[in-house]
Amino acid sequence: MSGLARRQQEFLAALLDEEAPLPAGWQVRHARGLAIYRNNYRGGLIDTLRDTYPRTEVLAGEAAFARAAAHHCITHPPSSWTLDQVGAGFSATCAELFRDDPDVAELAALEWAMQEAFVARDAVPLDAPAFAAATAHWDEAGWDGLKLVFVASMHLLRTSRDLPRMWHKLGNGESDCEADCLTEPHSVIVWRESERPVFVLRPPWEGEALAAFREGAGFGRVCGALAAKFGEERAVTEAGAMLARWIGDGLVERVDQ
Amino acid sequence: MNDIETYSGFGLGLRKDHYADFLEGPVPVDFVEVISENFMVDGGKPLRVLEQVRSRHDVVLHGVSLSIGSAYGVDEAYLARLRALADRIEPLWVSDHLCWTRTSAHNSHDLLPLPLTTEALNVVCENVERAQEALGRPMLFENPSSYLSFPEDEMREWEFLSEMVRRTGCYLLLDVNNIYVSAHNHDFSMRDYIGGLPLESVRQIHLAGHEPGTIIVDTHDRAVADGVWALYAAVIAKLGPVATMIERDANIPALPELLRELGRARSVGQASLSQANAA
Repeated sequence: MSGLARRQQEFLAALLDEEAPLPAGWQVRHARGLAIYRNNYRGGLIDTLRDTYPRTEVLAGEAAFARAAAHHCITHPPSSWTLDQVGAGFSATCAELFRDDPDVAELAALEWAMQEAFVARDAVPLDAPAFAAATAHWDEAGWDGLKLVFVASMHLLRTSRDLPRMWHKLGNGESDCEADCLTEPHSVIVWRESERPVFVLRPPWEGEALAAFREGAGFGRVCGALAAKFGEERAVTEAGAMLARWIGDGLVERVDQ
Repeated sequence: MNDIETYSGFGLGLRKDHYADFLEGPVPVDFVEVISENFMVDGGKPLRVLEQVRSRHDVVLHGVSLSIGSAYGVDEAYLARLRALADRIEPLWVSDHLCWTRTSAHNSHDLLPLPLTTEALNVVCENVERAQEALGRPMLFENPSSYLSFPEDEMREWEFLSEMVRRTGCYLLLDVNNIYVSAHNHDFSMRDYIGGLPLESVRQIHLAGHEPGTIIVDTHDRAVADGVWALYAAVIAKLGPVATMIERDANIPALPELLRELGRARSVGQASLSQANAA
């Protein structure tokens, strides 16, 4: 290791851990300077987490959020060149630190997905006429093999909370979300409409269908799973409506076979 | 590699607080400086905002994550993204800082100081040459503000910068506030600093506010201090007209207040040039 590399390793170690010994040859005046860099480092990362997770901060409370953010910066020191990645894994940190309040981690996961959707690759979604044209001459085997490629901004989550209601309340600074539970877990679909990230709650089976498509399943296999749940007749209706909804929402970038 | 022509306008840093002002119509600035990394994204609103601003203003790309002083070399994937952004936006120039931000494992997201040694100079020059080659253009590098110096330092910062310019053909972004901050923190003469630099290589000046104290901190959260204005006047008298901008990153005021401060930069620069010409 070169002298410069060693110096930079020592410097960063001292920056990340205030218990670390001062690098060789450093004196009190260096420690004063280092304290400023350490403060800038931590303050910058915590501010970034605040910007990424504003609603999570309201839900958790300012002091608890600050502790979680500081913990995250210590356990997940950033490695990417972009500050956008500082918040990666923060929902897992929240799941660990707020074990009695799982809604904090669920909300953090949603805020992270919304941020990722905000800067995801641009895509022109397939509209209904384009979908109809692409599938116009397909026979039954063709439909069975239908595969969907979703827009890059799409994310799929699960929740046990009424996230749309919580999102609205927390956005207005209201932190009391105790009553916002769902009777059963739902799927959350996140994507970007033009420039704006959006999300909807869907029944869990729709999330499972979407996950199956993302893993490369064809329409026939997805319909089979729906038929096992709903029976043949309802499965056909639900599958058709689901496809129409996804295309209407702009979730599908293209179809493959 | 092409030269960068002198450009003598007055500009502001584009911050989210002012996106709406810049999107509504032309703002009376000659150029806009943006933080490169904020726009090195795959898609979405940031790039559309930048393209709209670019349709009305000259733009400068100013980076904070190149880590030109890293002992681990430059990040090729980062450079590829920066090149793609520069090709898309066609900025007046691309700049970053004389500093390091990362090791092989971690990124501090802070502009950390380099030991002023021959070894560090060699590393920086090698990295500058690689970055300029990858970008297909010469870059500007900004003198840092710093809060500590290293026992192993072998030269002064202006000597380091001068040699870097001589060896790589890069240009300088002179942050006048940073000179003021570091001169106080490291007890050197601002006159020596200015006198020791290859001023003909300066293509841009930054002005910003700082927090006074035993150690002055470069906070960018308040108006430019009187001592910095005086130093700016002295620099312009020696250097002549050069692109100048106000940097504000915290406690960001409404745009008219920043435009008034930029107006002061115009006045101070003009008065300094008039005095220099009369002398």
